[in-house]
Amino acid sequence: MNSFIAFIMGPMVWISVIIFLGGLIFKLVGILGAVRQKEPYIYSYVTLKHSLRSIGAWLIPFFPRSARLSPVYYGISYLFHILLFLVPLFLASHIVLINEAFQISWPALNDSVADVLTLGVIAALIFFAVRRIRVPEVKYLTGAMDYLLILVVLLPFLTGFLAYHQWVAYQWITVIHILSGELMLIIIPFSRFSHMLNAPLTRAYMGSEFGHVRQARDW
Amino acid sequence: MAYSNRFIMFLIVLFAAVGTGFFSYAGQDLERLDPWAFDSPRRPGAVFSHDDHIFLLDDDCSVCHHVYENGELIPDESSEDLYCSDCHSLKPMPDNPMPLEAAYHNLCRDCHFDRGEGPVLCGECHVKE
Repeated sequence: MNSFIAFIMGPMVWISVIIFLGGLIFKLVGILGAVRQKEPYIYSYVTLKHSLRSIGAWLIPFFPRSARLSPVYYGISYLFHILLFLVPLFLASHIVLINEAFQISWPALNDSVADVLTLGVIAALIFFAVRRIRVPEVKYLTGAMDYLLILVVLLPFLTGFLAYHQWVAYQWITVIHILSGELMLIIIPFSRFSHMLNAPLTRAYMGSEFGHVRQARDW
Repeated sequence: MAYSNRFIMFLIVLFAAVGTGFFSYAGQDLERLDPWAFDSPRRPGAVFSHDDHIFLLDDDCSVCHHVYENGELIPDESSEDLYCSDCHSLKPMPDNPMPLEAAYHNLCRDCHFDRGEGPVLCGECHVKE
């Protein structure tokens, strides 16, 4: 068992990170290449200023009009995305592992705070699942893969929560925690999770099209 | 009525007996390292049996009670007369870049990985009290 744990805590972490970063870079190059081939004139009006202005506007809570039209969904989604990165990156247990591997460190969240925030992430994921079942226009666009992807995000947070409390089967829960975290990283470039790359690109395009060409706002 | 009362009494006694047994097992005193050298430890001291390790390491104290000089391990020298925290401070220092927490983690976990036995995950040593 220890050699298996050594593998998933060692080489498998590198494999996951390489697939995650490499996959996103590959995708970025692919998108930029496709634009050059099919609609190269887009490059003539995309500017850094209008791109950043649009990305910035969409980062301000409840600033875009569509955010104000569905404030509950938008608010939960906004908090969810912050917690999705904040909790794992500032979790004391994770920082300890990174510190021992790379001798770098940063301030950690209080464990009890992280515990509650983890429950917040889980609650948001349940909300997203219920929304896909209950809201007709969303249900219409929902397939099995969408529920599966919610599960992929749920697993590392749920097992992390259970592992912290050490209630049941600690070793197995922790092994599933590590594996599901790696699975999530690996899946990002090959699923709709790649919106972590596509979203800013879309804003850059829309921001420049509206801001630079039409002299209008895109938020 | 009398029957059901007796049955409920029986159930209460049964649960009390099983519960006492369970909690006395769950809360049994595990031999732990005392984290006195840490300012505000986030986790309970690691579960550790000194006697078991003396036996497993064939009385070679220097495996854990090692001596380093200028970053080099001095073979066959041991340091049982020192606390770990005498050499390892809480933060990395120029004369000893290995802080106390990492010293424990690396020494215990790496040995358990190398030998293929012993706990390696956080909560396997830092068992909740």
